[in-house]
Amino acid sequence: MSHLMNITKKELKEILTPGAVMSIVVVMLMMCCIGVLINGEISDASKLSSIGIVNGDEEGEYSDLAIEYIKEVYINNGVDGADIDKYVVILDAEYGDNNAIIAEVQEKGLSSAIAFDPDFSEDITAGIAGTIEKYYVYNNGGIFSTTTSAVNEVLIGYVNTYFSNLLIEANVDNPDYSSEFLLNPIDQSVDLTDINGTVYEGITPYQISTTLMGQTMMIPLIIMIIIIMIGSIVISSMGNEKENKTLETLLTLPIKRTTIVAGKLLASALVGLIYGLAYMVGMMFYMGSITSGISGVNLADYGLALDITDWVMLGIMVFLSIMAALGMCMILGAFVKNYKAAQTMTMPISVLAMIPMFVIMFVGWGKLPIIGQIILFIIPFTHPMMAMNNLMFGDITLVLGGIAYLIIFSLAMIAVTVKIYNSDILLTGLAQTKTVRTFKKIFGGKKHAE
Amino acid sequence: MAKALTVTDVHKVYGDREAVKGISFDVEEGEIFGLIGPNGAGKTTTLRMICTLLQITSGTINVCGYDVKEQADDVRKIISYLPEDAGAYKDLTGRSYLKFMAEFFADGEKKDAMVKRGIEIANLGDRIDSEVDTYSKGMMRRLLIARAIMPSPKFAVMDEVTSGLDVLNAYEIREIIRNIAKNGVTVLISSHNMFEVEILCHRIAMINEGKIVLSGTPQELKEKYNASNLEEVFVKAVTQ
Repeated sequence: MSHLMNITKKELKEILTPGAVMSIVVVMLMMCCIGVLINGEISDASKLSSIGIVNGDEEGEYSDLAIEYIKEVYINNGVDGADIDKYVVILDAEYGDNNAIIAEVQEKGLSSAIAFDPDFSEDITAGIAGTIEKYYVYNNGGIFSTTTSAVNEVLIGYVNTYFSNLLIEANVDNPDYSSEFLLNPIDQSVDLTDINGTVYEGITPYQISTTLMGQTMMIPLIIMIIIIMIGSIVISSMGNEKENKTLETLLTLPIKRTTIVAGKLLASALVGLIYGLAYMVGMMFYMGSITSGISGVNLADYGLALDITDWVMLGIMVFLSIMAALGMCMILGAFVKNYKAAQTMTMPISVLAMIPMFVIMFVGWGKLPIIGQIILFIIPFTHPMMAMNNLMFGDITLVLGGIAYLIIFSLAMIAVTVKIYNSDILLTGLAQTKTVRTFKKIFGGKKHAE
Repeated sequence: MAKALTVTDVHKVYGDREAVKGISFDVEEGEIFGLIGPNGAGKTTTLRMICTLLQITSGTINVCGYDVKEQADDVRKIISYLPEDAGAYKDLTGRSYLKFMAEFFADGEKKDAMVKRGIEIANLGDRIDSEVDTYSKGMMRRLLIARAIMPSPKFAVMDEVTSGLDVLNAYEIREIIRNIAKNGVTVLISSHNMFEVEILCHRIAMINEGKIVLSGTPQELKEKYNASNLEEVFVKAVTQ
């Protein structure tokens, strides 16, 4: 074997430890799972969604023409003519009764509706843009919740072009019709969106989502960064103590083990908060610059704002999740042998922080199957990541449940940490425990058992 | 003379392996006591149990009147442990390391006096203000011994105290140990170096396969085994 091969082989053996291989496998599996989930969401989002129609202009020529044209658009996009009434649903609700329209949209499982103004045909005939109002139910479901806005806008855009062509052909020399009207015979400026049971005018799900992205998507990112950072700090600190052979001295000093645990937790929590604040400021500028140009909506005007109690609950959740992470890291750190091993040991924490971040960002809690919700609930970092949205949309049960779970989880982690610090495991590792020795004896042969 | 340490029928079991099998010995106040034995005999495990680092499976250990199992916090207040190959926090200077450690034992003027004493024991000159990371093995060991001795413990436990040091450094450290014993500190050391044990310890105990196989003064043991030095005693005791 050449010298190069010999050295390369040695390096690979050092780098590709079982822990490192496990990390690669876990990351691959995690990305696959997230890919499947996102793919499902994209498929749902890209499906031609059904639309409700309220025709306030029942006797009008142009509204009937527009409805027929919309049906034609659906058929041209692959909808069977026999099923067209399932996709283009004429609603029974009265024009102008916003609550009734929204209620019927929800009852019939539609994501949006359009309503023709009673003067729609009359206006167009008179050379004034006819009004089509757009109704949405805001569904808090991650990035892809913006698609309902797009469906309405695209359809009305098609109708506008269709009417524009018709009117230009018939009235090209008519001095009563302005060029502006001929190019835009449809007024689609009226947007009505149901948010938490109240219908607000002048906002679309797209605007809500882009603004929310700036405000609430930042939280999962920051939480993830804090968790990974403090995880790395705590585990590396333990790795350093063992590698530098300072742990034994520390443990024989006249201080309680709980003080040592608390000191390490406090220092890491403070560094975590500094990281958090720094990233929050940075991300606020970053996301603000991205989203301000897109929407610039003040969510507080639409009842989507946090009051003092909400902020306190959010703060408690962030604090508890940091404590949970620190507890977990202290436990993992107890088993690392050196700094290098510590780097590998941060992987489980990183994965646990990344899973809820991606799922919440792309899918949303509400769209997960029950098993997915259970798994996500068990991961402690999920709760602060979705707390802001839940507080905004009034899902207080999930918030309080999350706080209760985080308290229990953090206390359990700290209790286990203190127990480990009072046991031999910190110095001898798991290899000396009866269970591991028995396991090695059974599966590892005599050599390991001795 | 009062007993500084009493170890009575102590066992230590790791899983299904018994590392220490019912050892008993005692150390008198002001004595330098040596625990010798081959690698893996159970020396470090015994020292770690005495210093509250490992749980005792059965038996009792009493340090200066405190039970190690029941009064671990009290034991830690009066002992000082210097593990084999111990290190210091690399990003600290020697002085700041001693200050950091002194914080756990005293404050105010007492702390300053303790640090001053530590610096004198370490005898590192200007290098006391260099980062620990830049120290040679001998300098590191002197700093750690200073850390162990500066709080004036009642009972000092030192594992392989001069391991890997050159003749001069080893000599200096043995002198330091003799001096602290003269000042009333009881010292328990473990070592592979039979010469060191013979010239330093008042009494010794030899541990092999988790059991005490002999104990006494170096002179008594040499006479008993008709040997010219402790190395011969060691070989005869292990092979017989």
